[in-house]
Amino acid sequence: MELDQALQTFIMESRELLEAMEESLLGLESEPDDRDAIGAIFRAAHTIKGSGGLFGLDGIVAFTHVVENVLDRVRNNEVPINADLIALLLSCRDHIGMLVEQIAADSAAKPDHETETTGIMLLNQLKSYQAGTQEQSPLPAITSSQTKPQSQTAVVAQSGGTVENDNWHISLRFSHDVLRNGMDPLAFIRYLDNMGDIVHIVTLPDAMPFATDMDPESCYLGFEIDFHGENVDKATIEGVFEFVREDCSLRILPPHSRIEEYTQLIDELPEDKIRLGDLLVNCGALTWNELDEALRLQSLNAEFGCDASASRDSGNLGQILVEQNMVQPELVDAALGKQKLAKENKVQESKLIRIQADKLDQLINLVGEMVIAGAATSLLAQRTRDPALHESTSTLSRLVEEIRDSALQLRMVQIGETFSRFNRVVRDVSKEIGKDIGLAISGAETELDKSVVEKIGDPLMHLVRNSMDHGIEKSEIRLQRGKPAKGTLHLNAYHESGSIVVEVGDDGGGLNRARILAKALEKGLVTANQTLSDQEVYGLIFEAGFSTAEAVTNLSGRGVGMDVVRRNIEALRGTVEIDSREGVGTTVKIRLPLTLAIIDGFLLGVGSASYVVPLDMVMECIELSEAERQETRESNYINLRGTVLPFIRLRDQFREQGKAGRRENIVVVQYVGQMAGLVVDELMGEFQTVIKPLGKLFGNLKGISGSTILGSGEVALILDVPALIQRAVNKEAQQLAYSQTK
Amino acid sequence: MAKTVMVVDDSASLRQVVGIALRGAGYEVIEGCDGKDALSKLTGQKVHLVISDVNMPNMDGITFVKNLKQMPAYKFTPVIMLTTESQEGKKQEGQAAGAKAWVVKPFLPTQMLAAVSKLVMP
Amino acid sequence: MTISIESSNGVCHARVTGEMTIYHAAEMKGELLPCLDYGTEVEIDLSEVSEIDTAGFQLLLLTKREAAKVGKSLRLVAHSPATLEVLDLFNMASYFGDPVMMPRAAH
Repeated sequence: MELDQALQTFIMESRELLEAMEESLLGLESEPDDRDAIGAIFRAAHTIKGSGGLFGLDGIVAFTHVVENVLDRVRNNEVPINADLIALLLSCRDHIGMLVEQIAADSAAKPDHETETTGIMLLNQLKSYQAGTQEQSPLPAITSSQTKPQSQTAVVAQSGGTVENDNWHISLRFSHDVLRNGMDPLAFIRYLDNMGDIVHIVTLPDAMPFATDMDPESCYLGFEIDFHGENVDKATIEGVFEFVREDCSLRILPPHSRIEEYTQLIDELPEDKIRLGDLLVNCGALTWNELDEALRLQSLNAEFGCDASASRDSGNLGQILVEQNMVQPELVDAALGKQKLAKENKVQESKLIRIQADKLDQLINLVGEMVIAGAATSLLAQRTRDPALHESTSTLSRLVEEIRDSALQLRMVQIGETFSRFNRVVRDVSKEIGKDIGLAISGAETELDKSVVEKIGDPLMHLVRNSMDHGIEKSEIRLQRGKPAKGTLHLNAYHESGSIVVEVGDDGGGLNRARILAKALEKGLVTANQTLSDQEVYGLIFEAGFSTAEAVTNLSGRGVGMDVVRRNIEALRGTVEIDSREGVGTTVKIRLPLTLAIIDGFLLGVGSASYVVPLDMVMECIELSEAERQETRESNYINLRGTVLPFIRLRDQFREQGKAGRRENIVVVQYVGQMAGLVVDELMGEFQTVIKPLGKLFGNLKGISGSTILGSGEVALILDVPALIQRAVNKEAQQLAYSQTK
Repeated sequence: MAKTVMVVDDSASLRQVVGIALRGAGYEVIEGCDGKDALSKLTGQKVHLVISDVNMPNMDGITFVKNLKQMPAYKFTPVIMLTTESQEGKKQEGQAAGAKAWVVKPFLPTQMLAAVSKLVMP
Repeated sequence: MTISIESSNGVCHARVTGEMTIYHAAEMKGELLPCLDYGTEVEIDLSEVSEIDTAGFQLLLLTKREAAKVGKSLRLVAHSPATLEVLDLFNMASYFGDPVMMPRAAH
């Protein structure tokens, strides 16, 4: 369970690292010498490999290992950075991303055939950047146990017999520095004891000098150990002491070693021969007879002047030499260090904590409930006419509002991350379609609700692709038109009166008004005698069925699935506007609410049901006089101070049972410059409300965008004003057309 | 008394997994997400072992260990450095800084547990 | 780490409290060795030793050896679990020759 969570962390972390990697890789295109960027790219691969290994994700580890290896060479200036390598590394990044996503989808998943093929292809391409020699396997391994040859344990019968002892014999002499280096011999012996059985151990304090010379932080101890363990080989024992390889001399004799090898051991150890002999017998390593034999062999060697150790291939007793004269710790160049520190501080001073999104959602939900409960309390307080209570609830309301704002603030994220993803898109697409296009980003620090950010990616992608495909001209044409050869795509974001505005702009050919109009006429979207503003004409490209891909290319404009873009934006309670000048460029403006969670609403009653309209869309409320009611029974519009105002009776719209109330009101709502009236029974006033999404079942309900719970506990539906206005306007237009043909 | 191990790595998932493995074996674990963060969390309390990555933002592992070894309360605290086999140069630098134990990334949680127990039993 | 020392009737009683580790090694050496001058017999009470490492253990060895050199007797008494574990692991109980309660069978 815990590990599952850690895996989730790994997946999120990898996504972030891959994003940073991409950003840095793209940055390298313009600044190939950016050491920080190269460092960041390396670190991304390094971390993914390292953490992936912990989860046993061998596929990710194996692939990332090669990438890391190449990056390391780049970092060390062994491989130059160029466009080809950047392109390759970007593909590798994508591949790692793919592998991570497959794990995210199913932690036990094996990569599918296609992914595997991609991986092999990329590895092949990486080969030419790798160091000449074949890399060792990147799979989990701890250094020393791997680098030490293991075959030496084989004992070949030679002169002299083998000893009876069926235990391993280990001779240990620690360097003086071992304690100062933080290593405690006790710890290793403890570990050894845990791994098997220390049959016998002799602690040798012989090397300890006179009291006055004895440095209490130095180690003077040696150990002779007889050790027994199941399934233990020499490498395992060496592994126990891997961290003190340079701080001890270690000699290991396998069970039933040749007496000759003990001879050599006695030779090599610093202590007196006789004392060592006693020790080895005490340890149970040798019997007295074996010791005699060992000492006899030794004198024989001495006699023939041949060094025991030279008579066999060098050091096959697995001795680990003490490496002395270690490099003294360098004192850091203090000034340099400080300078670096200051820079690092600047880079990332902000402390971040990671919170699971659902916890935040839960908080916001609760705040929402609190808002509702608060509203109910205020209502009750007002009824009591108790000034003290009234005051206290209004303080409470203010606090609740602040809490609401702070809570929503928690979910605010900068749009920059979403924007910077387009660096890659613009780069890839411009290559693909053979245009030279750069991306300019501004307003990256503009914040908006995470839930909005998540949903805005697709529409943006659509718009960006459209601009690139159809908006920006090829270089030759641009030059002919006196524009710079390189086209520019501009992403911008800013806040404007409670909304966030996201702009996708280009300096391309602009929209062709006449051709759009012609197309719209052909499709029957407009009638010939309609006079339309530029805005309205451009807006036509967002109409469903306006364009097919074919038509769009002919129009040299845009339009592939633009209606989808608008639908997506409207689902977020947002709007799309388009602004264009022929020959100069086009800018699409998306306006979105800052949050999807809470709105200030206006409560309406129709029959027994309540509805909520977002307050910022309400223009005014008018009571319908009896005369007007009679008048409008048949039509769907009234005369509002000289202009035609189409309206919808909510009672009809939602098939509310019962007769209309004694009074009716029109709530005038507006959206993107269009106005319509909603006929309701009752106006119930302002109401701060938390939007609860409708279940999937009601997802397709026309005219409703969500629900909320009232202070009384009743459910109120939130009206989808843009859809209702559209409906009212269309209805009116139809009726108009109908009456005209009559 | 449980032995305390500090894990310093910029990868949250790595800290999480190593933390799970070590806590499961009876160690107490404190975490640092980079050298700077780790130093700020070392306030003189007993720490029996430090595990640190080399490559980290804000303050890399080598600088961290150099600083650690300057602090009287930690000058003899053993350090396991996490490395890749391609970082031989870093290794020398780290050894000089006072990190004598090295474990190659990637490793499995059990391997880390073994490495830790060689230096400090829980 | 603190060492409290009392001397009466030619017996020096030293009591070590806290960690006998390398962090305090220099300090310990400076306090343990002079104990040999305070009496003909020296008794080191280890009951309050919470932790002991090789550096701490070495100092006990050193003190024992120096005591023998000058013909004085050194006894380690009331071993705490931490000190017993080390004596056992290093198989040095007999070297010191003090009666101890071994936590497990000696090898």
